[in-house]
Amino acid sequence: MQIFDVLVIGSGGAGMRAALEAGTRGGLSVGLMTKMFPTRSATGMAQGGINGVLGNADPTDTVAKHIFDTVKGSDYLGDQDAIAFFCGQAAAAIREIDYYGVPFSRDAKGQIAQRNFGGQSAPRTCFSADKTGHVILHTMYEQCLKHGVKMLTDRQLLDLAVDGDGLCGVVALDIRTGRVVPVKAKAVVVATGGAGRMYWSRTTNPFTSTADGMAACFRAGIPLKDPEMVQFHPTGLAGTGILMSEASRAEGGYLYNNAGERFMVRYAPEKMELATRDLVSQAIETEIREGRGFGEGMNAYVLLDLRHLGREKILERLPGIRDLAITFEQVDPIEAPIPIRPSCHYTMGGVDVTDFRTGGTALAGLFAAGEAACVSIHGANRLGGNSLADIMVFGKCAGVGAADYAEAQGREAGGGALETKAAEWEARLAAAMARGGGSSVASIRDRLAEAMWNKVGIFRRGAEMAEAAAIVDGLTAEYERCAVGDDSRVFNTALVNYVELGNLLTMAKAVVLGAVNRTESRGCHLREDYPARDDVNFLKHTLVTLTGSQYELSYRPVVVTEHQPAERRY
Amino acid sequence: MEQVVYRIRRFDGEKEFWQEYSFAHEPNKTVLWGLLKIKETADPSLSFVAACRSAVCGACAVRVNGEAVLACETPLDALLGRFGATLVLEPLGNFPVIRDLVVDWEPKAVRLAEAKPWLMPREEFSAEAGCRQTQAEFKMINAQTNCILCGSCASECNKLSMGDDDFYEPFVYTKAGKFVADSRDGLAAEHLRPVLERGLWKCVHCQECVAKCPKRVAPAEDIAALRRESIRQGLTDNQGARHALAFAGDITNTGRLNETTMAVKTDGLLKSATRLPFALRLLRRGKLNPFHFPAPVEGIDGVRAIVKAAKEAKE
Repeated sequence: MQIFDVLVIGSGGAGMRAALEAGTRGGLSVGLMTKMFPTRSATGMAQGGINGVLGNADPTDTVAKHIFDTVKGSDYLGDQDAIAFFCGQAAAAIREIDYYGVPFSRDAKGQIAQRNFGGQSAPRTCFSADKTGHVILHTMYEQCLKHGVKMLTDRQLLDLAVDGDGLCGVVALDIRTGRVVPVKAKAVVVATGGAGRMYWSRTTNPFTSTADGMAACFRAGIPLKDPEMVQFHPTGLAGTGILMSEASRAEGGYLYNNAGERFMVRYAPEKMELATRDLVSQAIETEIREGRGFGEGMNAYVLLDLRHLGREKILERLPGIRDLAITFEQVDPIEAPIPIRPSCHYTMGGVDVTDFRTGGTALAGLFAAGEAACVSIHGANRLGGNSLADIMVFGKCAGVGAADYAEAQGREAGGGALETKAAEWEARLAAAMARGGGSSVASIRDRLAEAMWNKVGIFRRGAEMAEAAAIVDGLTAEYERCAVGDDSRVFNTALVNYVELGNLLTMAKAVVLGAVNRTESRGCHLREDYPARDDVNFLKHTLVTLTGSQYELSYRPVVVTEHQPAERRY
Repeated sequence: MEQVVYRIRRFDGEKEFWQEYSFAHEPNKTVLWGLLKIKETADPSLSFVAACRSAVCGACAVRVNGEAVLACETPLDALLGRFGATLVLEPLGNFPVIRDLVVDWEPKAVRLAEAKPWLMPREEFSAEAGCRQTQAEFKMINAQTNCILCGSCASECNKLSMGDDDFYEPFVYTKAGKFVADSRDGLAAEHLRPVLERGLWKCVHCQECVAKCPKRVAPAEDIAALRRESIRQGLTDNQGARHALAFAGDITNTGRLNETTMAVKTDGLLKSATRLPFALRLLRRGKLNPFHFPAPVEGIDGVRAIVKAAKEAKE
């Protein structure tokens, strides 16, 4: 059995930052487990930038402004103590990764360049052209190589193992051998990313964003916080949902409806296209609904126009965006506007972190960071550029938290719970592989996505969501009898997809439960039957906890320090 | 065209076999779309990996009709127009295959680490204050940072296909080159030494890595830049550098190569002596004349002007 002091699950920015922190401490054995090769992670798809108050582009910018922007962006659902901590750390985190080798675009003085981003009162988004996440991910990987972090690639997380004394480690599917392997660890960091694939084809996320860590923690009894808070990015390519970075709006792109009108003037007259993602997404969908889009049904879209920026600026600042538009939408933004529509982008909710300074959770020894976690600093709507800052700041915190815990923890966990859990999964997976008949994984997945997009998407209504809940339950029952279609033990990706779908169904049920019961509109959660924000009843976090086989709902007040909830205008 | 056929080289962990799949054509789709179509509607056992489906994660590189491509971004229609209705899909070359189109990156990661692909910041910088870099200096590394570790260059590298003992995957040189070129890095020699020890001068200049990179990275150019930098740093005690310097010297002096002295200058007298049988064969055929010391070619001034211009252009 493999044994680590600290085991990090997930090799995106948060996971690698955590592993790096624990790995450089010395004296601790640190493992980094990932279901693919480390640099395939969703972090690499983040394009626009990373927020921190460096004051390079605007010397009058302050941490206080970053705090307020984030609080307001979250529609007051973010915890203000955590947000203050986060904004206070962000600049140092950026300077530190500059030192680690992240190649940032520069200003005329040789300082890190900064630009405007949605929902922010100053240009504080640092960037590397439009591939910021990519270069951060690769720099983290380089640093992990440097420090000899032990990488366990091609391993799919299955479950946490917990006994009467606490956390023992995890069980995982070794995809190369098809065997379920127990891995013992004193401390575990879950940094497995988001759950955007609930919406399958209408997401900017990679195929791998399947709620693996969220579902595993949930099954271990750790609550999911604010699962209903799902961000839709306004500018996904119409045909594929692929992300056109917020940088495309930040650099000055316009949005047009079929009447040639810059319609944001009716939704956010001051900020226009640079309003927050929730508002711009809702505006686009409203235009489409009211007949001012192009195309029809699932194929409807509006236009993102960059032409007025000019060839030079597009090539300098948005080269990746241009390539994607040409490749996937057959449109060159230098010559024509890009058809776009909102696409599921980010899971604000996630594993309930109860100590933001360490990423700690209700289960001792279990830490969470990044999109898998809900701290909560993003509340009901994340600001562009805050997620890369999140994974650098809180990835490091979780690494420190896990390392401290492992050092203090003398006890070597027993292997009993691990063996039992591994045997359970071995039997379950063997049965699934042997099973004939039943629906295919892809068919269940597609119906889940359709129900989520149509009934628990940008616009939500109680009655429709009740239907979605019934559909998710039905699909979950079908899932128990579904066919994997491949019984090989060697790199069985069909089996991996089967495990992932189980996690998506688990998460989707929590999303619907949280959304049905939040009878208000806040940030990305837009209830047409409850259009107003309700601070009296809902200035609180949703917590969904698994008790036996029941999803139990409870709430926890939002931490409000200096910013009392106010009307949110842009 | 109504039906598309993928002829796929499969491997189940023990044996290799070919299998053909046919599916209905749809316009404006990608190679990856076809693979997903097969997996979801015909054969769930067909194995491949993909993640971002937007050409930035590097997971889905495969060989189509003998050329490495990213499946996610490669338009099917262009390939069908070029090759007809049947496409041949294989795993990347020069990688161990795990199953079907899935290749093993673990040994590649070990080799990459040998080149110390991480920033060794100059002393004036610190983790607390970060670094400084001009816009022009940033541009020197911007292209190399596009590498997504997809392995396409390694797949098509002609040198690597002759064995990997004395050569790295082209992306390894790109990574090393990125740090040598990074003005924030203070220890260029640390990045140079490992690649000098393994293959820096053995690239055969076929340019396949440049042609096949889906992100417009040019490993062959990075190799050339690393060679120049190694000479600039005085790391010339190796066969490749000696050969390059002798070559440049001959051209500057006479405008043509002196094959006899070239071997001695490159390999030294002792090692050249081991090639005596080869030299004798050349002599017999009239291809080598050790007593011929060529005079400068006509127009040598022009040649020297070109050499000078080339040197100035690079520095």
